[in-house]
Parts: sequence; C-alpha cells; structure tokens
Amino acid sequence: MSKTALLQALKLSKRFGGLQAVQSVDLSVNVGEVVGLIGPNGAGKTTLFNMLAGSMAPSGGQLFFDGLDCTGASAHQMAKLGLARTFQITSVFSALSVWENVLAATYRHQQASWMSAFFQTRGFRDEQVLMQHRAEEALRQTQLLHRNRDTAHSLPYGEQRKLEIAIALACAPRLLLLDEPAAGMNPEEGAKLVQLIHRLRDQGMAVLLVEHHMRVVMGVCDRVVVINSGEKIAEGSPQEVVQHPEVIRVYLGREAVHA
Amino acid sequence: MSFFKPVQALVLGVLLLPLAMGNDYVLHMLTLWALYSLLALSLNIVVGFLGELSFGHAAFFGVGAYTSSLLVMQLHWPMWITPLAAAAMAALLGWLIGYVSLRIVGPQFAILTLGFGAIVLTITNYWVDVTRGPMGLSQIPAFSLPALGLDFSHAIHMYPLALLLLIVVLYGCHVLQHSRQGRAFIATRENRELAAAIGINVFRTKLIGFVVATALAGFTGALYAHYLRVITPDLMSLSYMSAMLIMVVIGGKGSLYGPVLGALLYTFLLEALRSSGAWRMVVFAALLIACVVFLPGGLVSLWRRRQGAIA
Amino acid sequence: MLFLQQLLNGLANGMGYVLIAVGLTLVFGVLRIVNFAHGEFYMLGAYATYYAMALAGLSYLPALLLSTVLVAGLGVLANYFFFAPLQKEHEFTILLSSLGLALLLAHSAEAIFGADPKYLDTPFSDAILDWGNITVTQQRLLIMGVATLLILLVYAFIRYTRMGQMMQATAQHPEGAALTGINTRFVHGYTFALACALAALSGALVGPTTMLFPTVGDWAVLKGFIVVVMGGLGSVTGALLGGLILGVAEALGGSYISMGFKDAIGYAIIIAVLLWRPQGLFNAGAQR
Repeated sequence: MSKTALLQALKLSKRFGGLQAVQSVDLSVNVGEVVGLIGPNGAGKTTLFNMLAGSMAPSGGQLFFDGLDCTGASAHQMAKLGLARTFQITSVFSALSVWENVLAATYRHQQASWMSAFFQTRGFRDEQVLMQHRAEEALRQTQLLHRNRDTAHSLPYGEQRKLEIAIALACAPRLLLLDEPAAGMNPEEGAKLVQLIHRLRDQGMAVLLVEHHMRVVMGVCDRVVVINSGEKIAEGSPQEVVQHPEVIRVYLGREAVHA
Repeated sequence: MSFFKPVQALVLGVLLLPLAMGNDYVLHMLTLWALYSLLALSLNIVVGFLGELSFGHAAFFGVGAYTSSLLVMQLHWPMWITPLAAAAMAALLGWLIGYVSLRIVGPQFAILTLGFGAIVLTITNYWVDVTRGPMGLSQIPAFSLPALGLDFSHAIHMYPLALLLLIVVLYGCHVLQHSRQGRAFIATRENRELAAAIGINVFRTKLIGFVVATALAGFTGALYAHYLRVITPDLMSLSYMSAMLIMVVIGGKGSLYGPVLGALLYTFLLEALRSSGAWRMVVFAALLIACVVFLPGGLVSLWRRRQGAIA
Repeated sequence: MLFLQQLLNGLANGMGYVLIAVGLTLVFGVLRIVNFAHGEFYMLGAYATYYAMALAGLSYLPALLLSTVLVAGLGVLANYFFFAPLQKEHEFTILLSSLGLALLLAHSAEAIFGADPKYLDTPFSDAILDWGNITVTQQRLLIMGVATLLILLVYAFIRYTRMGQMMQATAQHPEGAALTGINTRFVHGYTFALACALAALSGALVGPTTMLFPTVGDWAVLKGFIVVVMGGLGSVTGALLGGLILGVAEALGGSYISMGFKDAIGYAIIIAVLLWRPQGLFNAGAQR
C-alpha cells in the first residue's frame, strides 16, 4: 500500500447475480494527481466509480482512503472523509438557487448547531461568513458567480454541469471524482474544463475522472487506467496507454476520438 | 437574512388590537388560529422542509394533549412541566414511528404513517380505563397564575401567550431555514442522492426533522388541551389530519409564513361558513385541489412571485 | 365451532376487502397512482344502491347493478378531471390531489345525504342459513359468491382479453406501451372505471351487513391500503390473498383477543409487513 496514495482500491469486485461487473481491480489515486478511467461502454467503469464513491458496496476487495479502511462505507461517509463526486446524469438541487446549491455543499465543514444559530452566537456568525466565502470561491472557479441568484433548473445544460463541479468544490474535497464531466461540452468548454482540473491539481487536489472524450483525457490526465469487461487491461501515462496493443484492440472499430 | 422587519411591527400591532377591544369571540378565534399555526408549522417541517407526506401527524398532536392532561389530572404533576413532558412523549413516539417509517421511500410512507396514526387513534379510543375512550377528557385544569390574576383558559390571557409562542417558533423556523441543519433537511428533500454525496446522512437527518416536528405537535397539543379543557380522540382523526394538511398546502408548504396564513384561512373561513354545515369542508377540499394543481407553492407564492425570492 | 364461524365471517369480510383492494392495486399498477379517494367510490356504491332502492323503487340486485355502472361512470369523470391532467406531476401532488378528491366526495355526500347512518335492507340480509353450528346470513354468502366470481372474471380478463393485456403492458412499461400504439389514456380511463366499479360493488354488497355513513370511505380506503401493501402494490393475486388474510385475522383476533382492538390488528399487520418485506408478501415485482 503506497504511502502517498490517497485512494487505494485493492482487488475491488462487484457481482450482480450471475454477472461479474467488476473483477479484481487495483486502482490508486495519489495526492496532486489526475487519473483517468476509460474503457468501452459497458466495461464496468460506472460500477467501479460508484464503488469508489461509496454509493455501491463492493462484493469483494478493499478500499482505503488516506490509509483508513473504508470498504463498504456509504456515500455520505465517503463524503465526510473528503471525497466529492459528480454524477453522469446531471444532479443538482434543481429548485434551489445556484447560491443555495453551493452553500448547501459546505455542510461537512460546519459545526454550528441550530441552538447557536438561534442565539446568533459569535461562533455561528463567523462560520457563516467562512462558508459564504467558500461558496463564493467555488462559484468563481467555475465562472458561475454571475448566476448566483438564478434557479438551478433555469441554467443551460453546460452551466448545470459546471454547477455540479462547483457543488463538489464547495465540499472542499481532497479527492474529486468526476463522472464524464466533458459530456455535452463543446471544444472551448472542454478546454476550460481541462484548465480548471489542472488548477485544482496544482492546488493539491487529487482527481479521478471517467471520460469518453479522448482529447480531454489526453490533455488533463497524469495517468490513465483502462477497463474492459470489468477488468483492468492497461495503466500508464496517456501516451503509453494509447499505444498499448490491448487497448487498441479493444477500441478498434470504435470511435477513438470525439471532437 | 433578517427575521425582524418593520412590516412585522405593523402586523403585530394589528394582531394585538383585539386585546384592547376585549371581544371574547374574536379573541377565541385568534387564539385558535395561533394554536393551529403552531400545529401547521410542525407539520410543515415534515411536509415542507423534509418533503415527506406524513398522514399520521395528528396522532402526535393528540398524544401531546392527552399526555399533558393525564399527567396533571391523574399524577398531579405541576402544570408548567407537563407541556414539555407532552413534547417529550410525542417526540419518543415520533422517534419510534419515524425510525421504522422513514426507511420506506415512496407512497408507502404515506400509507405507513396513516396506519400508525390509525393505531394510535384506535388505542386511544379503546383504552377506556386511561383515556375514557370516545368520551374524552373534560374539565382539564387550565394554566393559571393566580397571583397575577391570569387564567389561561380565557382567551384574553391565552391569546398573547400563544402569539408570543408563535413568534418564538416562527423565529426558530426562520433560523432553521438558514442553519446547517435546515439546509440539510432541504437538501434531502430536493435530491436524496446528491445530499448523501455532500456528506449528509439522509436517514438520520430526516429522523431528526421528524422528531422535532412531532415534539412541537405534542407541545401544541398540550397547550390546546389546557386551553379548551376538553379533548376527545377526534384530535387524532383523519379530519384533523386533513385540516392540518389543508392549512400547510394552501398556505404554502416549505415556506415560513405559509402555514400561518393557511391556519388563518382555515380558522376564519370555517367560522364564516358555519351556517353551511358540511359544505364548508367541500369548499376547503376544492381549495386544496385548486392549490395543488394551480398553485403548488400555496398562497404565499402569490406574494413571493412579486418579490422574486427563491425556495 | 366458534372457530369455524369466525373463519367464515372473516372470509366474507375478507372478500369485501379484496374487491376494494383489487381496484386500488390495479390503479396503482396501471396508472401509478395511490388513490386516497378510492374508498369514496365504495361509499358511493353503497349510497347509490340505497337511493336506487328508496327513491326509484328498484329491488336490490338491479339497484346494485345500476349503482355499479353509475359509480364506474363517475370514476371515468374523476380520472378525466383530476388524475389525467396530473399525469406528469410529482407523486406528492397526485397524492394530495387524491386526498382533496376524497374530502370533496365524502363531505359532499355528508351535505347531500346527511350524516345520520342509513341501513341498507336487502332480501338477503335477514335470511339465515344454518349449517350445523354455523350461522351465516345469505348476504354474506352473496358477498363471497359474487366476489369470488368477480375475481375470477377480472383475472381472466387481465390475462386473456386484449384490453387486459394492454393494461398489463401499460403497467409494466408505460412509455413502451405507448410506442407500440396502445392508447394509454384510454387504458387508464378503463382501468379506473373498472376499479371504481369493483369498489362500488363492494360497497353495495357489504353495506347491508353494517350501516352506511358518509365517512365510511375513510375506513374502506384504509382497509384497501392495508391489503394492497400486504399483497404488493400492483399485484392482483396479492390483493386476493392479502384481503382474505386480513379478513380472517381480524375476525379471529376480534373474537379471541378483543373486539375493540379488531381494527388495530390490520394496522399492526401492515406495519409488520412494511418493515419485514416492504415490497409486499406476494409481489413478484410487477404484475399478477
């Protein structure tokens, strides 16, 4: 077990009745690293992703977060440890404003009880200011500050996706799990996303993303893991992986590059 | 976000006027309104903030009423403690029922809470030795401060007390909306999965909200019992439950003042239509449907639309 | 022999519950609606029969048939005005709307018919059959006989007729069914009418064994929910078995434990089931 690995999955497996969706996968993400998880449709990426995020319990194997055994931990427990994730199908608090969305995400860092809110104690008020700064920062990083007051569901698709990331950022996570963040984005938006992820990595965040957009994967990932039929078939730098014979075989006949 | 605004002073002034006029009938109506507002606010926590449709809430109101009354009448507890004991009893029951029911997602939750409510009603109806069954309890002692000449079964004394409590609870709800806990409630209502992803223990959060709501309902039940001095198992019936839901939905679920508005409408419209007999409830049923279909945010959303406020 | 007597009573009551529950479960399965107003159609069936006999001078069986048809028609209207427009809304909205409808119907009935209890007399309600030590009124036999026949008919209908198969398809896969050319709105209306007819029939059959009052619908819908939750939302077989179990459990529990807590038994069952097997005892996932 690597000392610097923030997230470490050992022989992670998932079985659905007769179907082995994920078979004995080893995966790790280090601090200050961007790891890409790629593979053809139905390869088991989403299942693996969900197990890492805690929304699905593994059938076998172990999971460690910063050395702590968190195998089978639930989604909210993983979030409490410092993991934040986005969803494949855009998931925000639709009826709430953009501001309320990100403010809600500062939950895990707040201590103030309702009582301290009732009496408007110093501690409560200071915490509120801190959380507001955090929310503001998250919106600034995703260029959504001007959308502050708008209702989440009134945002166009691309901005809703950015809001998702803003929500994840407001959690101040140590590890960010992104599920197809570039889906539906045009090349310009995709480039901005790559810049954002690089900024986050430089600030010390670890990032794992599932992606089909090869340009994004090549542009942003330090390391790429390739999954096929539930098993890891290759791992290495983007350049290495792209030349890997097994990877080429699996992707042959499929569109290797999306615009 | 400030709770205290100038317009409130004006409203408060208007609400206090009847005290000067001393009309017992109006004061009684206003007292009922204040108590119903508290009850509606408690249901609003479950329906509005948590987004769970509970059909058993009247049971906690009734349990609070009976607990306080029986503690005073049978065990001779001092009256200032019994409403708190009533709240605790309701909270305990709420914890038990919430613990088993909140695991169930979907329409089964409504059915389950309906079933629990019906059980509590049935037990109250048939445990005649303790509750005197359908005859109910009467001549329940009122709160009083003889030294100051205050008798809280008289509207002229109860009304200011109820109003004060209402203001405190409204402030509490306002604070809740802007607190960590309240935001968590709303998050679990809006998107369960995302709420968990940001670190919220959805089940525990819903349970806390449920227990707080039932405690408040129980407390209100106690106040109601010592004011009216007569209670029957009817308090736990579907008619009270429907009335509560009507108040919350028509007023505006999830808002701060919605339940209060709904209670106002219910208390006064019901009284105004007294001569229409059973048709009164038909009017309310029609209003409920109209609101649900055309004005999901309730009456409060009419005025909020002009202000452009959110959630 | 007391046991057999109670068993028989329980079965008769149970069949009454089954008729209510089958409609409720069909509406949930096909329309995806939890209909709080369902019990009101039971109430209306009973009252319509009463007034058909009292005002139009019809004898019991024709009155029963007439009221069933009338209430089924009312069901079509109710679906058209209340539920069909809300098809795409959140289930919360539909639930509240159905509560509103229930209140509307119950209190209108109270205003129009009066709150005093009425007694539905039929030629069968006093006639008694003695079987050794067991006594059973003909009405109870009628309930069991008619209900059994109806359940078999409904079962056959759903299984073998085209409409029945369309109902199944709509229940299992609403979008898919629409894509294959099924007029889902028509299927919805038909299902709703069928459900209301069954409820009305139950009211007309069971009504004579007790008394009629405008809020009986609350009682009926609660029984319906208990059975449907036991059997699994959407399962007709479940409704059949659940209804019989409830009827018998209540009858036996009532006589051996306490009459007063008879109703509480049903609620206790529902809670136990929802905690142990929330999807229902007999639910295979979707239908039948």
